[in-house]
Amino acid sequence: MKALTANRLDDGDVVFWCEGRWVRRFADAELFAESGPAEAAAALARAQPTVVVDPYLIDLEEADGVLVPVAFRERVRALGPTIHPDLGKQAEGGAVIRAMQAATGAARSAGRLGLIRKK
Amino acid sequence: MPTLIRLEGGRAVIAARDPFAEAPLDGPLPDGPAVLMPLARFQQQGPALLDEGLRIGVLLQPEEAVEDLAYDLPRLSMVALNLPKFRDGRAYSTAALLRQRYAFKGEVRAVGEVLREQAHLLARVGVDAFVFADGTTPEQLEAKLSLYRHVYQAASDARPPAWAERRS
Amino acid sequence: MYRYDQIDRDIVADRCAEFRAQVARRLSGELSEDQFKPLRLMNGLYLQLHAYMLRIAIPYGSLNSAKLHRLAHVARTWDRGYGHFTTRTNLQLHWIRLKDAPDILDSLAEVGLHAIQTSGNTIRNITSDPYAGAVADEVDDPRVWTEALRQWSTVHPEFSYLPRKFKIAVTASARDRTAVRVYDIGLKLRRNRDGALGFGVLVGGGLGRTPILGQTIREHLPAQHLLSYVAAILRVYNRHGRRDNIHKARIKVLVQSLGAEEFGRQVEAEWRAMDHAAVDLPDDELARIRGAFGAPAFEARPARSAAFEAAKAADPAFARFARRNVVAHKQAGYALVNIALKTPGEVPGDCSADQMDAIAELAARFSFDEVRLTYAQNLVLPHVALDDVPAVHARLAEIGLATPNLDLASDIIACPGLDYCALANARAIPIAQQIAARFADPELAEDVGELKIKISGCINACGHHHVGHIGILGVDKRGEEFYQLTLGGEADGDAAGDRSRLGDLLGPALPYARVAEAVEAVVGAYRRARAPGERFVDTYARVGLQPFKEAVYADAHPA
Repeated sequence: MKALTANRLDDGDVVFWCEGRWVRRFADAELFAESGPAEAAAALARAQPTVVVDPYLIDLEEADGVLVPVAFRERVRALGPTIHPDLGKQAEGGAVIRAMQAATGAARSAGRLGLIRKK
Repeated sequence: MPTLIRLEGGRAVIAARDPFAEAPLDGPLPDGPAVLMPLARFQQQGPALLDEGLRIGVLLQPEEAVEDLAYDLPRLSMVALNLPKFRDGRAYSTAALLRQRYAFKGEVRAVGEVLREQAHLLARVGVDAFVFADGTTPEQLEAKLSLYRHVYQAASDARPPAWAERRS
Repeated sequence: MYRYDQIDRDIVADRCAEFRAQVARRLSGELSEDQFKPLRLMNGLYLQLHAYMLRIAIPYGSLNSAKLHRLAHVARTWDRGYGHFTTRTNLQLHWIRLKDAPDILDSLAEVGLHAIQTSGNTIRNITSDPYAGAVADEVDDPRVWTEALRQWSTVHPEFSYLPRKFKIAVTASARDRTAVRVYDIGLKLRRNRDGALGFGVLVGGGLGRTPILGQTIREHLPAQHLLSYVAAILRVYNRHGRRDNIHKARIKVLVQSLGAEEFGRQVEAEWRAMDHAAVDLPDDELARIRGAFGAPAFEARPARSAAFEAAKAADPAFARFARRNVVAHKQAGYALVNIALKTPGEVPGDCSADQMDAIAELAARFSFDEVRLTYAQNLVLPHVALDDVPAVHARLAEIGLATPNLDLASDIIACPGLDYCALANARAIPIAQQIAARFADPELAEDVGELKIKISGCINACGHHHVGHIGILGVDKRGEEFYQLTLGGEADGDAAGDRSRLGDLLGPALPYARVAEAVEAVVGAYRRARAPGERFVDTYARVGLQPFKEAVYADAHPA
């Protein structure tokens, strides 16, 4: 599974693609099961240089029943700084936020290396 | 035909026509009173052509040394500096050397990826003719060149640096 | 401190106007991201993980209360109420919106602050000795020369599109507090046997992917030729530095490939051909700048302060603070007070807007309106009467910044790392926090003694890990954070000589969860092996890697 992400041009905020719009929360992101529609969305996004900067596709993987970004970097983007749980999108809470934070914890523990793959 | 804008007496003016016809590395020379040629061709044929009375401009790539032209500079009408990428800053040093070290009096022309946002810096190091890649107009160029009311350094232009202004 | 005249103010204002127009052209689509990126970078604006980041220059690390109050105001108004002081004496704000940046820069310009050339392939903000003008061993005030360089390098027409970034440091004391050997150009102000002022000129230092210490190309450049000589170095670099590979584009690679001797020869040839009078500042302008850095109006005070001594006797916490963070001043009865932005549990180098305001008030009241920033991400009140140090300490304690840990194990340098930075491979801040927690006991920290731990979240080495006594580098292994430890690095020197060296790799990278315990094990090995009076790096130099390897990897199990 994949999602499409970028930073918004005018404020730098992390955004995700959802059916032709950009949304702020990963929980609202459109999830692509097939690479064809994902690439098509990425092409549309690249045609919006005054809206977003450098859109790209990210890989997702299931963690405790929820799809979350595979790469730790992408989870930090979707959450906010790990040292400031009160800042960034993580402050809003919710099930998907909690799943990503839990996945972060799993990535740190030496026993579950397999959860995180090359970004 | 790309637009050539020259700085003349503090104004930016579109050249009605560019007298320099561009010559490739080899092959027949284009007709006309003035030719712009790559350094390598100039080194082979330039002095002889100058003797025949042809006006010559030399196109320098960023990695080419202006020192190689030093002997012939007084007889050249123009030196064109190619900026293959606007981020390639070597042309700035070349222009500074042309004006400051070799006191070159001919036209120094910027070609390639020449953009408005770098124009004031190019003008300060001695560029006085621009072939813009972004459609910059003479009015836009003049606005860019007058944006900074003061400068901190002496360069190839006549602007007094801040320390000289402070004396007056 | 130097105060802008109308010319300086106009130049900053014109730069703000220029950038405002560039932002508008970018938002309208007239400029592509490719065209805009170098422009925003040379105005200090990065696009990071969560937002834009603005890097504000603190030239030679020197602030007054008005500037610090304004930084607090900007952090409160346009960011999230805090900022991060960096190893190159800048302040970074992490939650900036592009569309606000022009207003922010206008606000900063009102007090003579800016973000000009804090990034991009330009001559960056120039660093100097945070103790300038306050210590006895400096041969001249380095700020005079740093300010001359600041002006000369600002919007330089020839050197704004260099092959890569370019950093300059100036030091004027035998004791180096700038890490002068890790700069593209390091300038060591000294007097020769005739008493003439000149610069030892080092080139080609730098950390990053290829860490190299700078090498001397000129032992004694007459001081008045500083600008022309630096211009000659820049011109050789601008013309011949590599532009085909970003990883080989720094001047250090050019110096390495030519050899320092040949590079120096080319610089000398360029310099001799230059019109020095067009570049070097005339004496009257140097005198004007020098006038701005006159000594504050110190009062005649006894060398020994009864109030200071009484406070030490009465309060062990104050005594420890006085021992660790208070440094002798050249003026009798005064001291430099270091404010470590390293409270265990907090983010190294971070300072809240409220703390900035409080420190600004302390500076105005007790330090002749001056605050300095050090490359170790700490602040200094440079001119505090010894009588006033107890009051300063009490106020610092109220705002949570009285930790007496200067140069100790919890005084850790850390870059923003993967919590903020788009370039990072791993987090640096939480590693620093975990290590600091293990050395939070002041008794333990003082027993361990001087120990400089430096952490970078990627190979770009903003955390200076190569020159950490213990250096920690975050790497990405299959999407997970791992960390390499290096030991024995140092970026220091004093009258006895330069001690700069790059650290040695300890062994295989460690997972996130094992880094703090590994550092603790390294420190344990040091405490077992040390001879009386030896610092960590001294013991390391004597015993080598082996005891530390054993301490960290002996009980290693496959992760």
